[in-house]
Amino acid sequence: MNQMHPSIKTEHYLWVEPSRCIGCFSCEVACKMEHELPAGPRPIRVIQVGPLEHGDELTMKYQPTACLHCNSPACVEACPTGAMQKREDGLVFPDTDLCIGCQHCAIACPFGIPQLHPGTGKITKCDGCVDRVDIGLSPACVLACPTGALSFLTPIMKAQRARERFAKEIRHSGAVR
Amino acid sequence: MNHRHLFDRYPGTRKNHERWVKTVCQECSVRCGLVAYLNNGGIVDIHGDDDHPVSQGRLCARGIAFVQGIDSPDRITCTAFRKNLQAPFEALEDWEKALDMVAEQLRKIKDQHGADSIFIGCDPEADLEFAICATRFANLLGTPHVYHPFDFPQTLSGFPLPPYPASPCYEWEHSKCLFLIEADIATTHPVAFGWALEAQQQGAKIIVADTRFTRTMSKADMALRIMPDSGNIIGLALMKTVLEESNYNGNIIKSRFTDPEKWRASFNKLSWEDMKNTIGLTPQKIKELSDLLQRNGPIIIVTGKKLAGLASYGIWSTLVTAMGWMGTKGSGWYPLDATTPPLNPSRGIDDRKAEKISHDNGSPTYALLNELKEACKKGHVPARAILCSGNCFDDFFSFFKDLSEEPELIAYFGSFPNSTQKLSHMVFPSALWAEKSGLCFSNDRAIQWAEKIVEPGTGCRSGLEFWLGLAKRFGWQDAFPWIKEDGSADHQSFYQWVLDGSPIIKGCTLEQIIGSNQVSDSCFWSFRDESKEDGKIEPTPAPEAIEPDAQIGDRECFPLYFQKTPFVSRSDQAGNFWPWTQKLEEEDAVQINPETARALNIENGEAILISSPAWTMEGHAWISRMVPIWMVSSPRGSGGDWVLVQKKDQTSDEALTILREFLL
Repeated sequence: MNQMHPSIKTEHYLWVEPSRCIGCFSCEVACKMEHELPAGPRPIRVIQVGPLEHGDELTMKYQPTACLHCNSPACVEACPTGAMQKREDGLVFPDTDLCIGCQHCAIACPFGIPQLHPGTGKITKCDGCVDRVDIGLSPACVLACPTGALSFLTPIMKAQRARERFAKEIRHSGAVR
Repeated sequence: MNHRHLFDRYPGTRKNHERWVKTVCQECSVRCGLVAYLNNGGIVDIHGDDDHPVSQGRLCARGIAFVQGIDSPDRITCTAFRKNLQAPFEALEDWEKALDMVAEQLRKIKDQHGADSIFIGCDPEADLEFAICATRFANLLGTPHVYHPFDFPQTLSGFPLPPYPASPCYEWEHSKCLFLIEADIATTHPVAFGWALEAQQQGAKIIVADTRFTRTMSKADMALRIMPDSGNIIGLALMKTVLEESNYNGNIIKSRFTDPEKWRASFNKLSWEDMKNTIGLTPQKIKELSDLLQRNGPIIIVTGKKLAGLASYGIWSTLVTAMGWMGTKGSGWYPLDATTPPLNPSRGIDDRKAEKISHDNGSPTYALLNELKEACKKGHVPARAILCSGNCFDDFFSFFKDLSEEPELIAYFGSFPNSTQKLSHMVFPSALWAEKSGLCFSNDRAIQWAEKIVEPGTGCRSGLEFWLGLAKRFGWQDAFPWIKEDGSADHQSFYQWVLDGSPIIKGCTLEQIIGSNQVSDSCFWSFRDESKEDGKIEPTPAPEAIEPDAQIGDRECFPLYFQKTPFVSRSDQAGNFWPWTQKLEEEDAVQINPETARALNIENGEAILISSPAWTMEGHAWISRMVPIWMVSSPRGSGGDWVLVQKKDQTSDEALTILREFLL
């Protein structure tokens, strides 16, 4: 029987593969629908970079950006009421009952993640879809992504996926006989 | 519902719900499977259906956000009427009264001006059932003027089909090369593009030819920037290349093509110089493309919807047949939005008089629409009554907007206010796709039954109900017999009748299709006409001379090309009423190249004015290299025109002088 060593991380992380992102905004829409957000705050946001000139060629990329759920989150430190919290599994989320809308977290965050909900006057940010994750479901953005650019994986699963990809690449490059 | 997916995803909802409905998304022609969770009759959550063979759990932004349209406060919810276009609308007590009024008006107009004075336009927004019934109704009424963009010719000859259909998109991973021509499917059909990326990861090459640097092009292994509307000419150039190099399948040409020698000879006269000028690619680049394609089979060729309306469209069918790029997994010609099999809407009544919007510039329908346009310009208005669904007045009926004399009746059937509704006398609120059950056809030729998710909004009815109501008032119940005992429309018996009338899906019952939805194995319609044994196809020859399809206007005064195109994945007019799309895409954004903007001294976000000989439009500059220096692009406006762009505080003469100098 395979028993996991207790020190092995089983938390899931949002894994973003920008090379597969096509800027379709499914993640943004799914997030808004899940959290019933009005137009305005975008907890996950896809940024179009380019087209940029590289010699005669153009390149254009899409970068989905969401909360990094930092190890030492500046937003949690800055929150005067304890509304912004970090769970044991790493997810950083605001308790809206405690939030007073002072936006100190928004100022403190180096990535500009926390945003004010115009309807409630309280902070909204990516909460890692805690309510979904706790019952074994994927975060809304991950479930919605039509190209597999977003995944929610443990480090072991991520490594496994990367190895599978690499193996496929070698096979398709014709290097294996 | 909680099984592992291709991408290690765990679907489901955390929202309270009483039940869920599995159905088919009808926001685009991919037709993904979706699961909708319901509570108290309303949708509380949505995600892709993992068991669906085509989409396998994927769903794009539109497929998630359409819910916002259902409960939109802007939705039209009651029938309305006004005496003239200047008067305000008055709400009518019910549908029956409104149908009485339309029927009476139509009868009067027919008696006074003849049936030919009655026009019907069917926008794709009001789906297939509206168009099928409209065609049947027009036939009974005796008017040839019914226009729709669906493809349901009575025979297969109306469409240049190759002997074998293309692989459905979920088989693209078997492909080694995907060639997309003027098809920005990353924007318009994101789930299908997901399969293209899957293929790319497995080693396939993605080649994209387009005028703008699109989302699709950003993922390409080979990007070809071409002149507007020249996609079909690339097909001709490729055909000429392989013929010159004798790299085609001679056996297929002999056995499949009628008169192969004459066809082959037509390419001798085709001038490389003309093709180079029209496409904007050198013969060397075409050669490079041809080599890449021939090295990497199986090949999927995806062509954009717009190419269907341009000359030499049939070349794609001819090319895949001649090259043998068909019949295996991951190969074939995949024309976008050519989803509907041949149907027979006027079965059992007189010969079909209705026309569809043409795939061929030379066809009578295209000529008819052009004639109409000219007649409208001269003030000779042939139309006394116009029945419209969706937003025809911003599309193929745009010339009706400038009528000098008001027709007696313009009736609008739709869900949201738009330009057509603003110019109408009568308004009929229509049910959205999620509010009715029906058959739908996909890009992959899958035939699926889409179950309704919610009941129709207050006062809203389906297209079938609209036409059943009108037919009853004309005494044509026998020709429109799809009514249940309780008097409501019977969508199932209607669609069974539709299936029975098709020459190529005979024997396919609705029961089978509804059943196949449940066993994750779609029914497909085939390209093959079983009645034709020899399976010969008429190959598309090279034209006598290459003439650019992009309209050449007054380039002296209007030096920039204008392309109407969506910037983000959205559903045309209806998308205006989804709060998220309003914010995602600034509707009045106009893409302009940084160099052109610099020449005109235009800053990003600055107010600009765009004018063509026919229209003017205000917008805000979005400075981007997605467009070449000689082009501007916007989700609004009228595509394919040549325009002048100026800053708000610039005179048109100043702007024109700058642009002439800059573009030299």
